[in-house]
Amino acid sequence: MSNTLRGPHFYFSLLRLLVMLRGGDARRAESNAVEGRLVGMMIFLIHYLFFATQFVSFLLAPWLIALQLVALAFCVWLFWMLLLYINSVIIKLLRTGGLFRTIPTRRAQSILCGMVTTAMACALLNTAGWVRELGAIWLVMVAMNLLSAVVLALNHAARGPGQ
Amino acid sequence: MNSSINWARRFAVRGVFWRQYLDWATVNIPFYLYPVLHFFMTLFFFFFAAPARRIVLAHLAIILPGSSRMMNYLRVFRTFHNYSWTISEAAIHKLNKEEFAYEIIGADWLDRLGAAQGAIVLTAHMGNYDLGAALFAEKFNREIRLVRAPEPDEQTAEHLSASLEKSGEGAVKVDYNTGGALLSFDLLNALRLGEIVSIQGDRIEAGLAEISAQLFGKEIRLPNGPFVLAQVSRAPIYPLFIARSGYRSYQIIVSEPITVLRTGRDRADDLAQAVEKWSGVLEQVIAERWDQWFAFAPGFLSE
Repeated sequence: MSNTLRGPHFYFSLLRLLVMLRGGDARRAESNAVEGRLVGMMIFLIHYLFFATQFVSFLLAPWLIALQLVALAFCVWLFWMLLLYINSVIIKLLRTGGLFRTIPTRRAQSILCGMVTTAMACALLNTAGWVRELGAIWLVMVAMNLLSAVVLALNHAARGPGQ
Repeated sequence: MNSSINWARRFAVRGVFWRQYLDWATVNIPFYLYPVLHFFMTLFFFFFAAPARRIVLAHLAIILPGSSRMMNYLRVFRTFHNYSWTISEAAIHKLNKEEFAYEIIGADWLDRLGAAQGAIVLTAHMGNYDLGAALFAEKFNREIRLVRAPEPDEQTAEHLSASLEKSGEGAVKVDYNTGGALLSFDLLNALRLGEIVSIQGDRIEAGLAEISAQLFGKEIRLPNGPFVLAQVSRAPIYPLFIARSGYRSYQIIVSEPITVLRTGRDRADDLAQAVEKWSGVLEQVIAERWDQWFAFAPGFLSE
């Protein structure tokens, strides 16, 4: 524990790069509630919209559509449970093959979850309106984040305590 | 038949499965998925942990007189949501060794407690009381004896004890508050040796000595043990609460120590005075932080 509240720290490379450019501490941290909530909500929204476009029938009565949409939120939660479990098995297999051994399991999960979400965001590009734009925003953010990770790695700023 | 019942019991609301799942999730889940997952887990337990929901609802009706039943259901959800975050952050501290921010309210009292030769920490089922013990042991480099209410599930109790002891890196020893006299002598001995004993003073367990007190204008029964222990050992009682103040951020609230007098005239009167002071502190803290009072067991304020 610490009783000193430090400056802003972030988990994602894009935000860490921005902090670094402003002369701050670019080490990775999981302490930013706003960052966590925004990214978590966005991932949930992408998964939710992906499944909604695949499985929800919008030709039914309005109350049936509403019921499906409510039920879908719980289905996405159950899907996450399953996804996290399958990912944990994949990570175990990859580790026996020598991969992902130096990073914590939750970061390896983060990479796999990011890949699944990006695949869903790609599928959202085939839809229309704001749903398509949301998919595009996610893809742009992923590209910028990867680019930032490269810049941070080149600047040796990517290492944090316990990482 | 018995083995299948025991197996099924693992999945009960207070079964060990959920504690093990929490540990698995702490290691496996990226931090940014927590807000969504906490929401759904809270919703899940809001419906399935019906006895706890009813108890918290009854408590809220007493703590917040005149409040509407509908609003209190939402407050129960908020309490469960806080509990979800609280236990997951305790697991994060234990397993991931992540840093937490904290602010001390009553720093002078905490310093006095840290330096005390034998003291009783009286706390409640509030905020992150488990994390608090680990923090105390770490900050003052002292051992602490934690007396908990017994868990209904034996495997859950074993898991919790192991977690607390791991979290406190060997400086936290867990005892369970059962009806036997052996623990009382053990704790008295620990206090006389200058150790610190932490007891939860907001729940009475069957078979334990009790004493009456007033809380929110209702007569309640509180455990007698901490006060008798303080009177016999002459150790001061420090009311201490660990409240969650935000994402990975806590408040440690320490109040003025309570001394249980030994006037020699009427022992019960001396105890009653100390109990009155404790219930006053408890009432104030619960009134300010009702959404972090995790008193899910029956037979207290709602009875």
